[in-house]
Amino acid sequence: MRDGAPQIDQEVATGSRRAVEVAAPVGGGPKPARIAVLSPLVASQIAAGEVVERPASVVKELIENSVDAGAMRIEIELEQGGIELIRIMDDGCGIEPEDLALAYAPHATSKVKSAAELERIPTLGFRGEAVASIASVSRMSIRSRTPMQESAFELESEGDVLGKAKPAAGSRGTTVTVRNLFFNTPARRKFLRTIPTEYGRCVEAVENAAMAHPAIGFTLKHDGRVTLDVPPGQGPRDRLLAVLGKELESELLECSADEMDAGRGMTMFGLVGKPSIARGSNKAQHIFVNGRPVRDRTIMHAIAEAFRGLIEPGRYPTAAILIEMDPAMVDVNVHPQKAEVRFRDGSRVHQAVLHAVRAALAKEDLTPRAESMVERLSGLAQRPMWGGWGADAARAILPAHGQVQVASSAMPSAEAVEQDRQKFAEYFARQQPMQGRIGYASLQQAMSASEAQPAASLMQPAEPELLMPPTPAKQVLQVHKSFLVTQDEAGVLIVDQHALHERVMFEFLMQRVMKDGAGLESQRLLVPVVVDATEVQVERLATLTPLLNKLGMELSAIGPRTVAVQAMATFLIEKGVDAGEVARELLEKAESEQGWQSLKMASEEVVRDIVNMMACKAAVKAGDAMTQTELADLLALREAVDRSSNCPHGRPTTIRLTIQDLEKLFGRT
Amino acid sequence: MKVICDRAALLSAINAVARAVPSRSPRPQLQCIKIAAVKPAKGGGELVVSGTDLEVAIRLSISQVEVNQPGEVLIPSDKLRQIVSAESNEPTLTLEVAGDHVTIRGADATFKLNTYPVADFPPLASYAETVAQTSAAPRTRTNFGIGAGVLRTLADRTLFATAKEQSRYAINGVLMKRDGKKLTMVATDGKRLALCNGGLGAGSSKDDKAVSAIIPTKALQMLRDLVGDVEEPVHVVLTDSQLICAFGGDISGKEPARATLTSNLVEGTFPPYEDVIPKEQDRRVTFDRDVLRSAVSRASLLTTEESRAVRMKFSNTGKQLHLSSRAAEMGEADIRCDIAKFEGDDIEIGFNPNYIVDALKVIPETEVIIELKAANKPGLVKAGADFVYVVMPLNLT
Ligand SMILES: Nc1ncnc2c1ncn2[C@@H]1O[C@H](COP(=O)(O)OP(=O)(O)OP(=O)(O)O)[C@@H](O)[C@H]1O
Ligand SMILES: [Mg+2]
Repeated sequence: MRDGAPQIDQEVATGSRRAVEVAAPVGGGPKPARIAVLSPLVASQIAAGEVVERPASVVKELIENSVDAGAMRIEIELEQGGIELIRIMDDGCGIEPEDLALAYAPHATSKVKSAAELERIPTLGFRGEAVASIASVSRMSIRSRTPMQESAFELESEGDVLGKAKPAAGSRGTTVTVRNLFFNTPARRKFLRTIPTEYGRCVEAVENAAMAHPAIGFTLKHDGRVTLDVPPGQGPRDRLLAVLGKELESELLECSADEMDAGRGMTMFGLVGKPSIARGSNKAQHIFVNGRPVRDRTIMHAIAEAFRGLIEPGRYPTAAILIEMDPAMVDVNVHPQKAEVRFRDGSRVHQAVLHAVRAALAKEDLTPRAESMVERLSGLAQRPMWGGWGADAARAILPAHGQVQVASSAMPSAEAVEQDRQKFAEYFARQQPMQGRIGYASLQQAMSASEAQPAASLMQPAEPELLMPPTPAKQVLQVHKSFLVTQDEAGVLIVDQHALHERVMFEFLMQRVMKDGAGLESQRLLVPVVVDATEVQVERLATLTPLLNKLGMELSAIGPRTVAVQAMATFLIEKGVDAGEVARELLEKAESEQGWQSLKMASEEVVRDIVNMMACKAAVKAGDAMTQTELADLLALREAVDRSSNCPHGRPTTIRLTIQDLEKLFGRT
Repeated sequence: MKVICDRAALLSAINAVARAVPSRSPRPQLQCIKIAAVKPAKGGGELVVSGTDLEVAIRLSISQVEVNQPGEVLIPSDKLRQIVSAESNEPTLTLEVAGDHVTIRGADATFKLNTYPVADFPPLASYAETVAQTSAAPRTRTNFGIGAGVLRTLADRTLFATAKEQSRYAINGVLMKRDGKKLTMVATDGKRLALCNGGLGAGSSKDDKAVSAIIPTKALQMLRDLVGDVEEPVHVVLTDSQLICAFGGDISGKEPARATLTSNLVEGTFPPYEDVIPKEQDRRVTFDRDVLRSAVSRASLLTTEESRAVRMKFSNTGKQLHLSSRAAEMGEADIRCDIAKFEGDDIEIGFNPNYIVDALKVIPETEVIIELKAANKPGLVKAGADFVYVVMPLNLT
């Protein structure tokens, strides 16, 4: 099929299509173009457009073939970011010499025989399309030797011109070499990015494969330099750390779901980053299902859900998660680059991941160390862990192409470093005005309140709290009526009083509402608080009553556009929260279509939202003075409550400055 | 100005007046105490000490003084108080004003303090002028006399029910209503309401129309604390915007008062308290005050911020009140308490125990009555003829 057919550049093919479009204005009326069957090469090249986008796609497909061939070691060699040369060497089962030509043929595969088998695909490949597609847009050679053979055979191709299999020297396994990618489709070649960019993508592909298959050894060489080398026979933990960067170890939490899902034919192993290393995008989430890297919304949502309240909105957890399951439970034939899968039972997978990640987070003290922040500011360049998640390999290219823009997330380029620096500056900027807003207003309030207090100290000699007998370990200092400073075994703890109190209240209330199922106790009001409402809100009120009662709110319509609050949760009343304000927020939520839908379902999510709002209102504010007892009580709760490291919005409640950090900051080490 | 003054009398006056002086203010003149020495023609002498934060003003007269030269001065409150208090060995102190400073002299010490111009001190409304309806004074709405002891009782039995927190919607004040020969005070924080009546003193004018005003909580507290001798008459005048109370003296204002408190009134409307007081309670339970207080206090030990409620089961057959409380992760309490008298059916209802105890604390009578109707309807606590207390229940979970 490849011999004889005229070699047509894709531009010619698209050119003729363009001719149809321009024909209309010239010819006075549309003149139909004739229909012709595409030549096999053009068909292949069009198909290749789906599979082969860039060197990295070639790397991915060829590594997958090696994995399917049962390789123990896979070596990848690249030149010029893969644009010039890609060579994949494996020690797998090899290809029989007489099958070599078939490997080049489209829709030829040794992996799937019947449509039924497509239902449960155990291999990475199944379409028989990859090699054909790659060959149609490159100069390719496959040299292979099966264990039975004395010597290797090699078959070369150039576009659609296929050579003859010849004996060649070579050890057991298969070596596929791809040169001059897109040499015959200049338009495609033009779309290739710079060498560092393409190389970065290739690194990602190799890293993904290495993470997905811990038992296989991988070596990556770029322009003669070894940039990644992981030995065969590793366990998932060691492999993930080897790829992500060993220095991240202390920032990663292990989560697994082995026993839990053994009965359902699913196991999971993962490493998730503590909230402190959350990122601005979800690029640092590596998800693998049955050895395939996938971008899966179900799983990403489960991760986000587990982290809810631990990181700020707009931040994404870092995670690497390996899932193995019965191939019958997952459809892999849904995306041209196999970058997505479809689960037969998505909610089960969601639950499993959510629980495993949640459990891992619950076990940990997630208090970020101030040290990491200090280092972020000062030592960004030296510490790749902040610049990019892992990828020692990728950095090797930097000296040569220092100025080049690097798109890969794995590369701590100057730009990425700058970005992190900026994010960090933003972090502080965000914290301050936030504090400022709550803080300043309520600080002023507090000041005027203390002004209004009778000057009791004039009547009796002052008995300042400072004179209280000091309790050495538990001394707490309230700074600017906003932050608490105390110590623990490791060093100094700095606590945002509002954030911590908010979290503590949130957890208590959620416990009561969700787990105990009892709902919140409420205080009836002497005179109902009347709020204005819209007709829609009033109409929807009745449906909400059961949910509101559970949350200690009793609202009733007393007119077509008036609602009365008869009762409110006791704890809100005690904290002096304005019932009208709470009612208005609830009514506004009911008015928006999205809010209404979730309120109607009374989902856990919406309960969380409301409890969150309540906790925020009831919590001590920046600027609220607290007594020693109150301070001690609050800090004691920090240890008693889950997720106390972050407020329900995900901002940190506590920052730790260890003794080592202090020593470092004072230049003692 | 030059005076020789009894130190103890001066210190107690300064301490009382200083409560009206703001501890922080953008205007230092407001953090001062004004001292005026007067020497009436008929002999003797008097020192008038006053302070204000522009909301409340207190003015006290001291007669234990020898006025050598009358005059006025404005002295920083803090320093003045410290000095007068520190000269503890001196029976008397001499205050002499020269130029813009005052000299305070004891036997072995001399303090020279900078002062502020007296003109910087705000003019305070005078009881006498207001009652005399001089054209300069604001219009009087009502004018009456009341025993200091009665006034203190009214304040004590209502102040506790005022809102603790400064909320936009809470009323930071106590309603004062004069109706004929009766003075009523009402306080509420939105969850309970306390009402107390007291009789007016002799000599009060016969107003036929009821007049009411909201007194700031802080002013009522100070007023309460100015009460010394319970027999002392207090004369009250209410205008459209102010309350003026004169301790001692006479209703016409001709006799000078020992102490005067002036306060701005709280604007706004007080909740319709008469509607809030339930009228159709069908269960009436009588307790010994101390028995009930002890039971409720003990039940309150196992309540938390999120679950305040003490569950109260009133049983007519057993003539017993069964109180129980439960705090998540802490434990439970179970208390039984005898009922003296029970009219009506059994009922179960939840209350914040603090609200009940607060009221029991200010009830001097040994017998208290709780009246109820339903678990989601207000409860009523009554003692004697003058005190009524409405408390809203908690919805139990
Ligand atoms: N490294 C290798 N070792 C052994 N056999 C190989 C290797 N690479 C390719 N083959 C053989 O060539 C065939 C074609 O490979 P190709 O990648 O085109 O298709 P596939 O892997 O079956 O399906 P897919 O298009 O989904 O990747 C494979 O089915 C396999 O038999
Ligand atoms: Mg393949």
